[in-house]
Amino acid sequence: MQELYQAVLDGDAKAAAALTRQALDNHVDALELINSAMVPAMDEVGRLFEAEEYFVPELLLSARAMKASMELLRPLLAASGTAPAGRVAIGTVKGDLHDIGKNLVAALLEGGGFEVFDLGADVAPEKFVAAIQEKGVGIVCLSALLTVTMPSMRATIEALKEAGVRHNVKVMIGGAPVTQQFADEIGADAYGASASAAVLLARRFAAQRNESPAHTA
Amino acid sequence: MTGIASPSIAPSRQRVLESLSHRSPAAIPLDFGSTAVTGMHVSVVAALRDYYGLEKRPVKVTEPYQMLGAIDEDLKQVIGIDVEGVARRKTAFGFPNTDWKPWNFNGLEVLVPGQFNVTVDPCSGDTLIYPQGDLSAAPSGRIPKGFHFFDAIIRQNHFDENNLRVEDNLEEYQPVSDADLDSIASDVETARETGRAVIAGVSGTAFGDIAHIPAPGLKDPRGIRDISEWYMSLRSRGDFIHRIFAAQTEIALRNLERVHARIGDGIDILYVCGTDFGTQTSAFCSVPSFRELWLPYYRQICGWVHRHTSWKCFKHSCGSVARFYDSFIEAGFDIVNPVQCSAAGMDPEHLKKTYGGRLVFWGGGVDTQKVLPFGKPEQVREQVLRRCEIFSPGGGFVFNTIHNIQAGTPVENVVALIDAVNEFRN
Repeated sequence: MQELYQAVLDGDAKAAAALTRQALDNHVDALELINSAMVPAMDEVGRLFEAEEYFVPELLLSARAMKASMELLRPLLAASGTAPAGRVAIGTVKGDLHDIGKNLVAALLEGGGFEVFDLGADVAPEKFVAAIQEKGVGIVCLSALLTVTMPSMRATIEALKEAGVRHNVKVMIGGAPVTQQFADEIGADAYGASASAAVLLARRFAAQRNESPAHTA
Repeated sequence: MTGIASPSIAPSRQRVLESLSHRSPAAIPLDFGSTAVTGMHVSVVAALRDYYGLEKRPVKVTEPYQMLGAIDEDLKQVIGIDVEGVARRKTAFGFPNTDWKPWNFNGLEVLVPGQFNVTVDPCSGDTLIYPQGDLSAAPSGRIPKGFHFFDAIIRQNHFDENNLRVEDNLEEYQPVSDADLDSIASDVETARETGRAVIAGVSGTAFGDIAHIPAPGLKDPRGIRDISEWYMSLRSRGDFIHRIFAAQTEIALRNLERVHARIGDGIDILYVCGTDFGTQTSAFCSVPSFRELWLPYYRQICGWVHRHTSWKCFKHSCGSVARFYDSFIEAGFDIVNPVQCSAAGMDPEHLKKTYGGRLVFWGGGVDTQKVLPFGKPEQVREQVLRRCEIFSPGGGFVFNTIHNIQAGTPVENVVALIDAVNEFRN
């Protein structure tokens, strides 16, 4: 378990996959691997990023290692009916093709035990609506890098209202030009100033929905 | 100390040179449009031309990646611009800036280069552009429907982890050809005749600029072209990155020698590199990583420039980068841009006090994330005047907005900016 934790922390995808296979061969429970290695490793990555000991390259490498392990674990979780910490739809809003910041948030959320539906970049408002209606997500994360695409955040929230799904979800926004003031202006539920702040907010929202992390259905 | 105009140097260039030498010029120098990071979106240029009642004509898109508009001589004179840029022969999409043709861009009639060939994605309505204008190649850039500039389309071909080839990541950095030299020499002469200070770039000095990594000008880019893969490589393939940067340095130094031999001190400023090291709140890498991976190569480039020319070295990096300034100085950079005061740790007074004697701040004039696009003209005026008060004492300041003025910025705010600069000048 400690070795898997370290492999994710070191961003070693090959080692993370090999150690996950080895643990599963030894009948270690998939959920146990996530709760004891994956979640604490990605939490530590988030902490190091916040403390400016890790930067974008390190975070991307750790995210890739985490994904290499999760690809092996996800089917087992689905087969056993294990519920995630929460379901999140995330995307860069319409008109904006920048996705590195969004990818970092998605990786920390996934590593934090959330089921993440990454809708990509340049995402039209109706795609967020569809994710809420079809995937049952409780949290929507909107990202924008550009000043000129910030209005798409407002348009997305308006689309959620028009579709009658706004009250079903918490909406978090983030990105370089975004501020708490802007979040308040457009009626978002929260502003995440950093990737790890987004995870803390998502956990708070998930707790409010009476969903505990990685609880078994 | 206040500068005294030299009879042999035009006032515009004089005030830039004095400011670059950390002496107070008679009036603060102003740049708009000399580089791809100090310009205006074509729609803003068109709106300004209308506002000032200049001849009605479509504006040329001289930098199609960001859809920057040409600021022609009549508008330069109205604004009071002091810097002239020498444009590359080819755009970021690999076609020449020649043979202008009309194009309707979101309802605005503009002029684009003859090989600016685009299609519209039938599903999304997005505009797709093609490398070197070749419609048979895969598109290399995209404007989402109704939006304002291109972003690169990532075309990452398979690469063999055990057989990475340095030359694959160097295809876009070529030795200058004789035709390039002729073009540069001619453009430098034209620029010099304007009486403004002249800035130019030379192929090869952009080390790991993320805007160039996807190689939007190449038809079939090889090597590491995915942006995330590149960032990870900085950590996981450090030796390979060093080999790329070392080979690139050789190309750049050879190009510098040839260009300098041809134009001498025909330019005043060398645009060295636009690699961004800062984010809004932090950095893309640590200072030790910067010093290990970039500093040796920047030092070679800037060292050569300072040993052989009178040029000043210009470094662009967005974001929270004050932590790198000591290393930038050690590398030999003279000028930093865009001085993003809205990012963490970039308080203008702190920057001026700490680095003002050693770095020229080319930018920092007004915030383009909030105040300029969303503020009122009076707020723009107040911030411009305050920034001029902070940055101008003792020279070391060339006024520019913090990066390009974006589409959708109210023309009244841009006019308020220009008026405020001229108010401060007077």
